[in-house]
Amino acid sequence: MYRGTGAGVSAGIGIGTAVVIREEEMVIRPDKTDDVRAEVERFRKALADTAARTERLAADLAEKVGEKEAEIMKGHLLLLADPVLIGEIEAAISGSGICSEYAVETVLGNYADVFASMDDEMMRQRAADMKDIKVRLQQALQGIRSADIASLPEGSVIVARDLTPSMTAGINPANVAAIVTELGGKTSHSAILARALEIPAVVAVSGLLEQVADGDRVIADGGEGVVLANPDETVTEDYAARRDGLLRGKKELEAYIGRPSVTRDGVAVEIGANIGKPEDVDKVLRYDGEGVGLFRTEFLFMERSAMPSEEEQFEAYRAVASRLEGRPVIIRTLDIGGDKEIPYMGIEKDENPFLGFRAVRLCLNRKEDIYKPQLRAILRASAFGNIKIMIPMVTCIDEVREVKALLEELKQELDEKGIPYNREIQTGIMVETAAAALMADVFAKEVDFFSIGTNDLTQYVMSVDRGNEKVSYLYSSFNPAVLRSIRHIIACGRKAGIMVGMCGEAASDPMMIPLLLAFGLNEFSMSASAILRTRKLITESSVKELQAVAERAMSFETAKEVEDYMREFVSQ
Amino acid sequence: MVKKKVVIRNLTGLHLRPAGVLCNKAILYKSKIQFCRGEVTANAKSVLSVLGACIKCGDEIEFICEGEDEEEALASMVKIVEDGLGE
Repeated sequence: MYRGTGAGVSAGIGIGTAVVIREEEMVIRPDKTDDVRAEVERFRKALADTAARTERLAADLAEKVGEKEAEIMKGHLLLLADPVLIGEIEAAISGSGICSEYAVETVLGNYADVFASMDDEMMRQRAADMKDIKVRLQQALQGIRSADIASLPEGSVIVARDLTPSMTAGINPANVAAIVTELGGKTSHSAILARALEIPAVVAVSGLLEQVADGDRVIADGGEGVVLANPDETVTEDYAARRDGLLRGKKELEAYIGRPSVTRDGVAVEIGANIGKPEDVDKVLRYDGEGVGLFRTEFLFMERSAMPSEEEQFEAYRAVASRLEGRPVIIRTLDIGGDKEIPYMGIEKDENPFLGFRAVRLCLNRKEDIYKPQLRAILRASAFGNIKIMIPMVTCIDEVREVKALLEELKQELDEKGIPYNREIQTGIMVETAAAALMADVFAKEVDFFSIGTNDLTQYVMSVDRGNEKVSYLYSSFNPAVLRSIRHIIACGRKAGIMVGMCGEAASDPMMIPLLLAFGLNEFSMSASAILRTRKLITESSVKELQAVAERAMSFETAKEVEDYMREFVSQ
Repeated sequence: MVKKKVVIRNLTGLHLRPAGVLCNKAILYKSKIQFCRGEVTANAKSVLSVLGACIKCGDEIEFICEGEDEEEALASMVKIVEDGLGE
């Protein structure tokens, strides 16, 4: 038995028969041609053939997978029609009288090298596109058909050195049990497409092609990044059982799409998603999120050399709000500080960044250039959906009052200019500092909602830097001090009649959810992939029954006792 | 010859898809259409040339159009960028 390891880039277990894809090595020589005009004609014909095949692949892919996945092939079409590219290749043929194959090799190979050396990851990926087009043009010139992946027998495991975008585009998911490659990475085309098609995939398995032959029985575990060839009967059975379990679990969870999040005893809650970019909405919709409980806005400000304009921010916020079609979108205003140096914003490294000049503290100090444009962009976007504003890292009520005054000022400005926005827009706070937790009753009277950020709340209540390994043992959201804070915050919010949500990791922790339900949390926000299993857990729970569990959990004195008790409870 | 500056608003800059939208518009005109940013000049009718300019969100580019329909071409290029290049 062979066992190889690589990077698991698309989860799931696939078992099947190896189909080894070997690309024929083409020998490209700088042969001369006598008839330059005929050679240019030969190139043009190959170009037209390749474009026609690419167009079919793009149409296929758009129908089978989606418009977004077809875009790479549509991009290839644009390149195949590029006047500069065609001009350069034709000039190489007619200028030095070399054959088309060699002209294609030189010109496209050159561009591939240029793209490969760029700083930008997105541009570097274009190198793979250039090589893909190069090989396909050369195959068309020589009348070679590339490996036909579209018509593999059912239960095939594709084994290859690397999959080009055009090869991956031809995959029929019904027949492919898994994909295993020697090269590639998490962001390569084949990995992205494997995830979209939900085919288990392991890439970057070194030495793969020397170990696996056509017809071998292969098991690929895309979660663990493991590949087995010709395993024992018992190992195969073991994996088959795990595969079936995973598929059953997935089916079971899919049954929760479109169902309300209501407990057995009739308590309705909301399960939303945390997102960091407008594209993340795809997943929110796929997993049936009831809204966005946390839209981090930092992405707009990172990895760039100038401040994003109000217009650009508006576009991003509007795009998310309109795609959610009326479901709530909680936008957290900029939560940035001295843990990262941002030269264009004039933010320097802070000696003690998590206790320093960050988030709302920084924004209120930089109203003109940072906060006003962001708040104005959010207000304008509120005309296109159900947007709420959330202020991060609040420690005292003056900060809330100052932000609200600023919002009033901006609303008046918009009124004067006749620009539409939601007049009833809600403003809430992240409750994540010890000060805000203790004063929750005061805050509850002046804000429209709370969202508990458990990651930071734990850090601040426990006075522990979770990045520091020497003290990270103190970092537990199950510490009674943190649990008492959470219970207090929820109670204060409920008493004032405002919504209380949670957007930290604890909101999707099966050991924490029973306690949160018992405390009366209204909204749970988490990474989109955790939504369905959380909905399943919640619909199987009864708040009434959980009261006793919470009471017992709160009677303990250490984090370990609480964790042990909850682990025991969950495993029952 | 006419020129005008415009700022790229697309979040991901001029990557493959927006570059394609830009080129498909440019080829509708007879004029020579270029844009430059700093030292880099790109042919707006070539995806490859546009990609190679490595334009990111927030960058300002200047369109330069030259030919019989230059005014029309310039206005059209500026507008399509301002409209977000199909995004």
